[in-house]
Amino acid sequence: MSTEATGGAMEPKPVVLVEGLHKRFDAAHVLRGIDLSVDSSRVVCVIGPSGSGKSTLLRCMAFLDRYDEGRVYIEGRLLGYREVDGKRVPDSERNIDSVRSVIGMVFQHYNLWPHKTALGNVTEALRVVKRLGKREADAIGMEMLAKVGVDDKAHDYPGQLSGGQQQRTAIARALAIRPHVMYFDEPTSALDPELVGEVLQVMQELASEGMTMVVVTHEMGFAAHVADEVVFMDEGEVVERGPPDDIFKRPQSERLRDFLDTWRSRTI
Amino acid sequence: MSFDIDMVLRYGPLLLSGLWTTVYICALASLLAVAAGLAVALIYSLPSRTMKFLCRIYIEVMRGTPILILLFILYYGGPSIGLTLEAETVGIVGLGFYGGGYFAEIFRAGFQSIPIGQIEAARMLGIPRLTIVARIQIPQMLTLIIPPSTNQVIILTKESALLSIITVAELTKNTTQMVNETFAVLEPYVAVALLYWLIIEGIAFAGAKLERRFSRTS
Repeated sequence: MSTEATGGAMEPKPVVLVEGLHKRFDAAHVLRGIDLSVDSSRVVCVIGPSGSGKSTLLRCMAFLDRYDEGRVYIEGRLLGYREVDGKRVPDSERNIDSVRSVIGMVFQHYNLWPHKTALGNVTEALRVVKRLGKREADAIGMEMLAKVGVDDKAHDYPGQLSGGQQQRTAIARALAIRPHVMYFDEPTSALDPELVGEVLQVMQELASEGMTMVVVTHEMGFAAHVADEVVFMDEGEVVERGPPDDIFKRPQSERLRDFLDTWRSRTI
Repeated sequence: MSFDIDMVLRYGPLLLSGLWTTVYICALASLLAVAAGLAVALIYSLPSRTMKFLCRIYIEVMRGTPILILLFILYYGGPSIGLTLEAETVGIVGLGFYGGGYFAEIFRAGFQSIPIGQIEAARMLGIPRLTIVARIQIPQMLTLIIPPSTNQVIILTKESALLSIITVAELTKNTTQMVNETFAVLEPYVAVALLYWLIIEGIAFAGAKLERRFSRTS
């Protein structure tokens, strides 16, 4: 199984590989056999109506929510479980940390630590995980904040920043650990409309630099212009997937057509 | 009616010796209570239902039993199960674990006040759990938990008067000795009330200072 999962010797292995993923919350069957493969430097956008399971998928892909069946591989390493005598057992926290150390995650509600400055948020993991000295960590932190355009706010606390600045700081925090793939969980959904653009622009720049990205989003414009692949989910299943042109201009399924019609009628 | 201040001064050394015993027993008991409460609250936050259940039992037993009964069980009942402790040790351990039940609830409320998203963000960055507790959760909890913690230390200090019943030579016990020797009631008890008030004002002052300090940084 693992040789299949990691791909043959000739093919580069995907950064993220999801196979037959199932997730239940008590009686609710939220993910119903999801397959997904994200190659290096590709941008995959996951779209779908609220409650379709797209955020849960991303959380399971980070093992923030434990998945029940299926597998998630990060750069060929199984995330969250290990096989013992053919049986699957939960992996140790240390191993989980190790496997997901290449994932940077950005959340809908930023999740910055309010008692630390913007710079303090960005350097925290550099100090306590990478064990860098203050000067070195601060230098990297400032570089990351400059990259997302909030270096002038480095010494401000999150409460003093706008939503867009907070989310860009959160992106800088995730980038500081030099991830190989970035997950974005509806990164603009909590923002005032006039602040959405600045965050999307940072994400677009990341994509153009070749960052591998998985983006759960309601921003159809972003998905249409930046994604290499768009995945449409509904009721815990992938209903349709393909290049943005196919998804947005030539939807095959009734459910995707309905979803796009609803979205268009709301944006007029 | 007269108030014999000379009598109080004569017994000053005895009262001060009791005061010192009360202060160090309460200080050690409070430290133990904070440590036990923090440990229980941390264990409570683990996903294991068994651990949650065990923590719940500890909290309910400590909250549901009068401190005097706990002290009696430890001091008079201990030897029958091979646990013979000095009275002062019983005082520290008894008050400490009793207070731990209350501190556990204070810390649990504190932990719950931190949005889970902040913890998840830290986990995604590979920050170890105990580091998250020390650097992300506790600093933010402090403004919330310092006022009830100050109250709890004050309550423990007042409860410590019960240690006189199990022969600890603390403030109340020494005052009772003064009453027995002088047959006076007013002077000893007014003096001891003032001394307790001094300790408690000291605790309240320290608590308020800590609260101001941490509300500035958060």
